[in-house]
Amino acid sequence: MKSIFINIREVAKRECNRMTSRSLYLLAILVFPVLTILFFGSLFKEGVPTKMPIAIVDLDQTTTSRIITRNIDVTPLSMVTMNLQSESEAMSQLRSGSIYGFVVLPKNMQADILSSKQPVVSYYYQNGLLIAGGLMQNDLTLILHTLSSAINIQKREAMGQPEDLIMAQVQPVQLNTHQLFNPTSNYSVYISTIVLPIMLQLFILLMTVYSIGIEIKERTSREWLQTSGKSIVTALTGKLLPYTVIFFILMMFQNFMMYRVMQVPVHTSAGWLMLSSLLFVLAYQAIGVFCIGLLPLMRHALNLSAFYGILALTLCGFSFPIEAMPPVFQYWASGFPVRHFMHIFQSQVLAGFELRYSILSYAFLLLFMLLPLTVIARLKSALIYQNFIERVHKS
Amino acid sequence: MENRNLKISAQIREGLAGMLRIWMREFQLIFKDVGVMVIIFAVPLVYPLLYSFIYYPEVVSDLPIAVVDLSHSAESRRFARNLDATPDLRVTAQTMTMNEATELFKKREVRGIVEIPETFSADIAMKRQTTVSAYADMEFFLYYKALMTGSSFVALETGKQIQVTNLMNEGLTERQAEVTAEPIRLVDNVMANSAGGFASYGIPAALILIIQQTLVLAIGILAGTARERHPFGTLVPLYRKRMGTLRLVAGKTAAYFTIYSLLCIYMLGMIPQWFGYAHSANLTGIMALMSPFLLSSIFFGLTLSVVFKNRESAMMLYLFTSIPLLFLSGIIWPLSNFSPVWLVVREIFPSSNAMFGFIKMNSLGASISETSREIVSLWIQAGVYFLTACIAYGYQVYNSESLRMDLLKLPFREMRNRVERGVRS
Repeated sequence: MKSIFINIREVAKRECNRMTSRSLYLLAILVFPVLTILFFGSLFKEGVPTKMPIAIVDLDQTTTSRIITRNIDVTPLSMVTMNLQSESEAMSQLRSGSIYGFVVLPKNMQADILSSKQPVVSYYYQNGLLIAGGLMQNDLTLILHTLSSAINIQKREAMGQPEDLIMAQVQPVQLNTHQLFNPTSNYSVYISTIVLPIMLQLFILLMTVYSIGIEIKERTSREWLQTSGKSIVTALTGKLLPYTVIFFILMMFQNFMMYRVMQVPVHTSAGWLMLSSLLFVLAYQAIGVFCIGLLPLMRHALNLSAFYGILALTLCGFSFPIEAMPPVFQYWASGFPVRHFMHIFQSQVLAGFELRYSILSYAFLLLFMLLPLTVIARLKSALIYQNFIERVHKS
Repeated sequence: MENRNLKISAQIREGLAGMLRIWMREFQLIFKDVGVMVIIFAVPLVYPLLYSFIYYPEVVSDLPIAVVDLSHSAESRRFARNLDATPDLRVTAQTMTMNEATELFKKREVRGIVEIPETFSADIAMKRQTTVSAYADMEFFLYYKALMTGSSFVALETGKQIQVTNLMNEGLTERQAEVTAEPIRLVDNVMANSAGGFASYGIPAALILIIQQTLVLAIGILAGTARERHPFGTLVPLYRKRMGTLRLVAGKTAAYFTIYSLLCIYMLGMIPQWFGYAHSANLTGIMALMSPFLLSSIFFGLTLSVVFKNRESAMMLYLFTSIPLLFLSGIIWPLSNFSPVWLVVREIFPSSNAMFGFIKMNSLGASISETSREIVSLWIQAGVYFLTACIAYGYQVYNSESLRMDLLKLPFREMRNRVERGVRS
């Protein structure tokens, strides 16, 4: 028993030496992950998009139209950057991408309002960019409805209705919106908290596959196995342990950035955060071992893990909800640890629900750790016989 | 004079022949390497199909919500029915208390809650303002959007009806009441992707990114392999006939350009057609945008490829950059909210302008002149990266040449010995 620990220590020591021998290691376990965290932390600094450029086509040119223009300009989301003469001109600006939307105030608008002719105000927004389009739609709809109500109120005042009654008359049903269990409507919270683990899983997969694959490629696998006392389990444990520690520290750094620096609300203890982070790292290391065990030729294993890792962005349900996908992909989505990690984050960390609502996700993360067992024999024979080495033609 | 002309034309002919040889040699290298074949062909062929199937439903409809009806009146029931009738929402549970609804939410059986207050019908009868609360799930942006769209529509419509009824009771005609309630008629015009489909939005952009990423990766992998294969680890082989910076860059570029032009027909022409994504761009427009994009991506890849010592380093760069580049392009986060630093970084990568330009052309129907900013930027990138590629390869050629010269000075036996062992001295 004691010798196993000594062997693990020896393999880990050997691995640490190997790590310092190539710049690739330093890049993948330190430089790139830290750059990623800084990138996503600073890209969405503002939390919600503001001052998106829009245009007004004011064909009316009256006090009313100018009031409307000013009111649109002061909303936090949009900023009137252009006053254009015609609808076609505005359409061309929209197509060229310099504005995200525009409002057309028709000719004789003021006169038509006064004579109760119900003028038509059209607004256009570009929906090719989903978030910008969605926000633009909400913003323009809301502000124009408010302005329409304001006119309604003025008219009623002119009719002599008592002021306190008017509001109830104009807007009999008010909608109050709340974000359930989450006080912030900050996009950076929703994007960074998911994208950062997705980026880190790419590095975990890459390093796991690479650190094992390079031993086969460069024919050092027998020596590695020798160091571990010819036990594949010891060999893998010793090799992956340094990475587990490094990636766990990176996960905790990420948590620190999110919950301390970016002020994402936490409703759970540090212990649970550490446990879920550790399980996340281990689950992906297990998948990495599975990839290289399945395809012991490194370039194929790297292709496989890259294909799988990049798909996580789609299948974790962050971009498009999983329940809305075809059923096949809903099952497939369970095959991504980041999906379960995201659920733990949403349910336990952000919303503060009791453990029983996320316990299943912890179980799934544990389940991934059984994966290497299915390929361990194949991997061991690949390490010994080195029969998966690609032949390099010297020319 | 005549003599000199002959000399130049002979040189050009030799250069073209050299370029053609490198071009064909590059084809050979690509088609012999299974790993590269997977990246150049399998990824661009499979990803678009896979993404299209995953995002097949395109929009979130009939989001399951719970209604907490504290009013128990005809009005509140009608309100709930109207919520159910919207395309966005489906009322799957009616609960007595907020706690019950929360429990369903925690179990993820419902994705939103609408609470109708106890005083709902009384408020309406007494002409008081009543407040309905909507609780949204923030896990997915599209769920939030569906609940907001559906519930605010019903609240506005219900409000309008109440207002019109009240005004008619005061003696106005129906038309007068409607005009008073709605002094301005608002017309909502959605440009591009009117259904708000997710695939129509995301996939065309992803395709452009896939083109650049697989190009850079394939060029990088082949460069890494070349270094692994050549004695002395040089990027350029030591044969005299394969040297010459310009013909190397031109020959390799021609090989990738031909392959990717064909792939573009599939990715940008056939996929949007098959799955019904926007395809308002015409052929000239797409060619005007894609030619500088392919060229700049290839030159960019060639420039980067000189730093890859082996196959794996290219893969690492690919994994590191793919997702950040998606965000950097400005299709997720509005460009008007980028800090100046990231706007500069954005200009480094050909994909950013190409993605933006492609969405403009294909979904908004922008013309070439309306996309000129992107096209000009791409040509500038192509020019700059052509120069860097020439400098990088020029240095590699110089390296190989001087190594070759050193070797030639040695006696034959010693030379062969060194080549076999792959050591320089």
